[in-house]
Amino acid sequence: MAARVKKAVYPLYQLGGPQLRIFRPNFFMLAVRPGVPQPEDTVQFRVSMEMTKVDIKNYLEKIYNVPVAAVRTRIQYGANNKRDHKNRRVKKPDYKVAYVQLGQGQTFQFPNLFPEKEQDAETRSFDDFRNKYMETEQQRQKGDPRRGGVPDWFGF
Amino acid sequence: MAAAAAMAALCRRLPGALRLSGARPGPTAAGLPGLTLNLFHKNLAKVEPLHQLKFLHTSLSRKGLEEFFDDPRNWGEKSVKSGDAWNIKHLRGKSSEDLHKLWYVLLKEKNMLLTLEQESKRQLRPMPSPERLKKVEKSMKNIDLVVREREIALRLLQTGHEKPAPGEWRHDFLGRTYWYTYKEWPIPWYLNKKYKKRKFYYLPHVNHFIRLRLEKSLRRRARRQNLEKTRQKVLERKFPHLAVKSQSQ
Repeated sequence: MAARVKKAVYPLYQLGGPQLRIFRPNFFMLAVRPGVPQPEDTVQFRVSMEMTKVDIKNYLEKIYNVPVAAVRTRIQYGANNKRDHKNRRVKKPDYKVAYVQLGQGQTFQFPNLFPEKEQDAETRSFDDFRNKYMETEQQRQKGDPRRGGVPDWFGF
Repeated sequence: MAAAAAMAALCRRLPGALRLSGARPGPTAAGLPGLTLNLFHKNLAKVEPLHQLKFLHTSLSRKGLEEFFDDPRNWGEKSVKSGDAWNIKHLRGKSSEDLHKLWYVLLKEKNMLLTLEQESKRQLRPMPSPERLKKVEKSMKNIDLVVREREIALRLLQTGHEKPAPGEWRHDFLGRTYWYTYKEWPIPWYLNKKYKKRKFYYLPHVNHFIRLRLEKSLRRRARRQNLEKTRQKVLERKFPHLAVKSQSQ
């Protein structure tokens, strides 16, 4: 039985009560490349569903030390129309998207995390070996060159 | 009317402007500029960074959104080296302050790895070393366990209660017994319509099914024990020299 993460229970808030403070937040937040071009000061995040705009602002300011001017959120519905081999519907999970506008005139451009790197000697030799093997295989598969590409199951 | 609206708009914009321009002085770098605490990469001996902590004053990191991404030298690599996850035994020896700091370090690492995972899916490339995510999650779970153990110990000493919230054993409508934790409500239970619909008792016709459930669990336990015994016998037959020697003089 896999250990399921229990939904955290917070103390009930009533007027005049103390401000809720969470000491070890387990909320994730990941930066994503925007599908639609965003203004330069806007960063797009996928955040945990329970986070609010205030939560996101505090999270970025306290943990990442990033000045935040404004936050807008929306919940993206994950589609439920794919079917598996037993014709059961497979649901893509829902997620919350946050558009954060940075303060103090900062700008952000999503970087390229997979730049082309020069291959080291090991990968180069492996690629060479693989190419040579493929060439020999294709040469073997080819029929008589005198037939000009016509397959050898034709004729007598 | 227009004047009031304009006034309201001005009032709304004023605190915002104050906040943006406001003096929130960045943390002054008091520590060595060239030193970065490499608590992410756990392959560095866990002893090492602590020695460094003793002698040098650590500065608050100046990086902002860069912490969502890995070291730029690792971009485009096929695999990134990383050490093992934090073991519970090692974590039990750390102070609560250290655990608190480690939690945030691990949280930022987890965010970074999730960002990398999503970007690799977008670019249709394999993510370099996905096992790092599992290690970070395991470490965070271990920290949580250790902190919870310490909390329980403190609570037992101070109040004598083990659980943070009071509760009791209750039956459900299928006759099963479970631990019910009291929840906080702003209204008493007799005014709570949803709570009154819940049944914490079972009717007499359920006794038959309780009996069946009991029989099933007994049968499963017996089957499990028999399986273990047969497996043990097979092993003893195959490796007689490794059998546990019974008391023989």
